[in-house]
Amino acid sequence: MSVALENLPYLLRGAGMTVLLSVAAAVPATLAGLCMALARRRTPWLGSLLDGWLFLMRGIPLIVLLVFVYFLLPRTGLDLPPFWGVTLVLAAYYAAFMSEVFRAGFDALPNAQWEAGRSLGLSEPLLLFHVIGPQALRVALPAHLNLCASLIKGTSLASVIGLWELTLASLEVVERTLAPFPIFLSAAGIYFTICFALDRLARRLEVANG
Amino acid sequence: MFDVRFIERVLPALLDGLWITLAIAFLAFAIAVPWGLCAAILHRRGGLAAALTGGYVQLVRNTPVLIQLYLVYYGLPMAGIMLSAFACGVLVLAFQTGGYAAEIFRGSLASISVRQFEAASALGMAPFARWRHVILPQLFLRSLPALTNQAATIIKDTAQVGVIAVMDMNKVGQIWLEKSGNPFDVFIALAAVYLVVTTVVGLAGRLIERRLSFVQ
Repeated sequence: MSVALENLPYLLRGAGMTVLLSVAAAVPATLAGLCMALARRRTPWLGSLLDGWLFLMRGIPLIVLLVFVYFLLPRTGLDLPPFWGVTLVLAAYYAAFMSEVFRAGFDALPNAQWEAGRSLGLSEPLLLFHVIGPQALRVALPAHLNLCASLIKGTSLASVIGLWELTLASLEVVERTLAPFPIFLSAAGIYFTICFALDRLARRLEVANG
Repeated sequence: MFDVRFIERVLPALLDGLWITLAIAFLAFAIAVPWGLCAAILHRRGGLAAALTGGYVQLVRNTPVLIQLYLVYYGLPMAGIMLSAFACGVLVLAFQTGGYAAEIFRGSLASISVRQFEAASALGMAPFARWRHVILPQLFLRSLPALTNQAATIIKDTAQVGVIAVMDMNKVGQIWLEKSGNPFDVFIALAAVYLVVTTVVGLAGRLIERRLSFVQ
């Protein structure tokens, strides 16, 4: 147990990187997901395009995409650091799932909400911002938070292509200390703390929504 | 960029790995379903049983599969338990999927009216017969769509067992990615096989669903 305590600061620094990576991926994924959900409401042909995207992301394991981008990046001539490569893949992967969550949020609102807003003379942006957005987001938020927890767990795969975060940090410590049980257990505990907090928050919002 | 003859060479190697992927997914799923069902039934009893099964579900939901794999593969030998990498993969994925299956069954169980239980016992059915003939058929029918999703998820999750040196399809693909100097085509082949397998699983689930609901 003292091995775990001694190395806890190092693991926590890894956890800091995990959080950084998660935020860097979750923010663009959320924005893209929101845009995709809105865009498909007005442009039908875009819908089938996004369905295709969703089909790909649903059927291909995240680790396959990550490893591919890792091998592809050097060949494109783009000098993209691994951190942004991983962020890009995570964002693209989760944007597809988030767009579905937001779509469900928008679909949950009766059409009368749109009509009432328009008949009040609200412009489209104002209508979205003041009437539709707040209601739809409240419905979508619990599922969105669950996806964020899934994304945080997904960042552990970055260790496979050598990006330093919590999982790779714990692997390094295990190599040095030869104490896999306490170290991996501590890492699992850190992941659990972050994801469980999000899960509780989602549950609470769900109850508040009724 | 897209070389058919190269893909013709990669594909057999990938398909060799696919058998391992499918074997792990199948075994883990076959363990996870009854395991999850037991957890869900235990959860219904309330008290300590509910707290334990609830804790188990939260544990698997909130920790990455990768860490679980490392914990079991490197941790168990420390406790004197030697398992092959393959067995570790099956164990971890069964444990993981069992938690999700428990959640699914718990939800379906909650949607079955208490009156079903009452009616069955009013007919004089013993507890076992009650579950066997009244509750479980409805439970499985209601859980089927979510279980189908979970079956596709477990196939995608097996892609991670390569980190503990199991030669599954993704691991084989990774070696080809590294060695062949043609990552694009390897990726296309690998992604295509995964897409086909997960799609087939989804379609099979829907087919079973349709047949069963027709019976009902």
